[in-house]
Amino acid sequence: MFGRRTLLAAAAALALAIPVAGTTGAQAQQPPVRIAVIGPMSGTGAFEGQLGLEGAQAMAAVINAKGGVAGRKLELLTYDDKGSPEDGVSAAKRAMEQDNVDMIIGGWFSAVALSMKEVTRDKIITVMTSSQHPKVTEEGHKYLFRLNATSAMMSEFYSKAICDRIKPKSIAFMNVNDDWGRLELDNYTKLLTACGIEVKGHEFYNRTDTDFTTALTKLKSLNADAIYVAAINTSQGATIYRQIKQTGYRGKVIASAGNMNPKLVELSGNSLEQVYSASPFTEDGSAPSLKPWLEQYRKDYKNEPSFIAALGAQAVQTLAFGVEAAGGDPRAYDKIAAALKSQEVPTVMGELRFSDKGQASQAIHLVQVQKKQIVSVRD
Amino acid sequence: MDFTVFAQQIANGLVNGMAYVLIATGLTLVFGVLRIVNFAHGEFYMLGAYITYFVGTLLGLDYIAAAAISAVVVAGLGVVANKLIFWPLRRDHEFTILLSSLGLALLIANGGELLFGADPKYVESPFADEVLDIGTVTLTQQRILVFAAAVVALVAVYLFIRYSRFGKMMRATAQNPDGAALTGINIGLVHTYTFALACGLAALSGALVGPTVMIFPTIGNWAVLKGFIVVIMGGLGSVTGALFAGLLLGVIESLGGGYISLGFMEAIGYAMIIAVLLWRPNGLFSTARGLR
Repeated sequence: MFGRRTLLAAAAALALAIPVAGTTGAQAQQPPVRIAVIGPMSGTGAFEGQLGLEGAQAMAAVINAKGGVAGRKLELLTYDDKGSPEDGVSAAKRAMEQDNVDMIIGGWFSAVALSMKEVTRDKIITVMTSSQHPKVTEEGHKYLFRLNATSAMMSEFYSKAICDRIKPKSIAFMNVNDDWGRLELDNYTKLLTACGIEVKGHEFYNRTDTDFTTALTKLKSLNADAIYVAAINTSQGATIYRQIKQTGYRGKVIASAGNMNPKLVELSGNSLEQVYSASPFTEDGSAPSLKPWLEQYRKDYKNEPSFIAALGAQAVQTLAFGVEAAGGDPRAYDKIAAALKSQEVPTVMGELRFSDKGQASQAIHLVQVQKKQIVSVRD
Repeated sequence: MDFTVFAQQIANGLVNGMAYVLIATGLTLVFGVLRIVNFAHGEFYMLGAYITYFVGTLLGLDYIAAAAISAVVVAGLGVVANKLIFWPLRRDHEFTILLSSLGLALLIANGGELLFGADPKYVESPFADEVLDIGTVTLTQQRILVFAAAVVALVAVYLFIRYSRFGKMMRATAQNPDGAALTGINIGLVHTYTFALACGLAALSGALVGPTVMIFPTIGNWAVLKGFIVVIMGGLGSVTGALFAGLLLGVIESLGGGYISLGFMEAIGYAMIIAVLLWRPNGLFSTARGLR
């Protein structure tokens, strides 16, 4: 066995070797800003993780092509959280302790964001992406920012659209059984009951389920005018939308806010036709940085640009803006946080404004699937 | 109680159960004849679904042809896996074989993610969205096809094992490999055939179930888990046991999910295993060593 002395010597040698390797790589240039992208790269959420990463990489490429941020290139390091809180926590620890990254992008699922923020608490700038649970920012920390609208913000906007435009007489819910899915049920039950829509019942399905006929058979028998589906995961969502039609349900289908993407439309066949959703991302937006990002994304990847990918891009833009404002130092966390909270951040989805708790306000649009395209519905 | 919903849940359960039976039959054959616990079995299910998808989209063949080709190709892959891993290890400890199969499962699943991409895919089938009303029960043609094709495949497997020369060789090997070898049975050939049959069945079920859900590279986990529940419940090595246990699991899951709670659907399978094992420690249909 190795003695303690050998181990110490080895550790010392490693400690010496690492900075040397670092300086030879960068040479005359400034060292890159190292950003950890922690997301579900495997498991059932792998596709969302891939989209988010692609969006972030395309934006990093756009920024790097223009010379980077204050003369420093952006370098993205990828970590897999497998969509699970435990793996998210260990990925964040690895990124901070072993790889010594400057900043973190993560939190695609609420459950992961909620536990990961405790590891990064007050230690490192952390941008949470698609998670919608209010506690992510309500109980966040001084370096935490979250891009997606909270489920409360989303439901406030979307419930109005459901009440005024879609107008079902009664509704039943098909929600994923996690923090977010349960919160959605609470929110919409309150908001829709308030405008006179009868809530007939709900089913919670598990995040690992692949077949939903049992749940949908029950929901169909409630004879509700509409079924509201709260599914984040693209593969589960597509199966649910198809199986709703396959069980012979002929009522309206309403997709949860923030979870409509081109892949879902492609996989769902005709079953998403005329279905509404709400999304901060539309391809016909007017932000100046949208076009170069769309071009770069289409050039590098075969997927269609989506809301999740746009969030990835937005996360990189937010960090880049903060570093620029802090004079190019990615470790000046207080300066970066102050800059992000006091100025408007221009992104692919328009100007972002962060609250004191780090919550972004995004403009949300009503969208509908028409002829297999997601189009924004304007009044 | 609403009879329409009850009948619909039973029908859902029978279709799901039949898919479990197809997966479990291959698993139980490999165990019964060769004494191999194959954790990679679910991966062959995944490959079956993916190859059906790729033959359909890249070669433009229709769904039935694609499914048939996929079953044959995966049967071939099963033979290769046997030649490379299971045959050379046949004299090693059972744990060595078990761990190797686990390694193979990880290799295929991660290789699949690399090769096919992580994005979910959909196996197109002309029967997927065609709804049939049988009395008060609504099923898609695809679900009826899953059930019917599984019945045909299982009858064929049964007749093959019971009456064909190779089937008899398989049964002899299952009873006593050394004794079978002494009577001149080519054990290597039996290995090859058993793997081809088992993996072909796994692929067939992947191809059949594929169009009812979305496919992604880690669906094998789900398949092998269901397969093991069924095999343990029915009795390791028992084909009849797999049939009854599979249908039972499907129906109980769907009634449990329908009338108690969806959250418990997964737990029901495990609870059933415990109940069955307490009552009959070798499974419902297990008696002595051999293939039944």
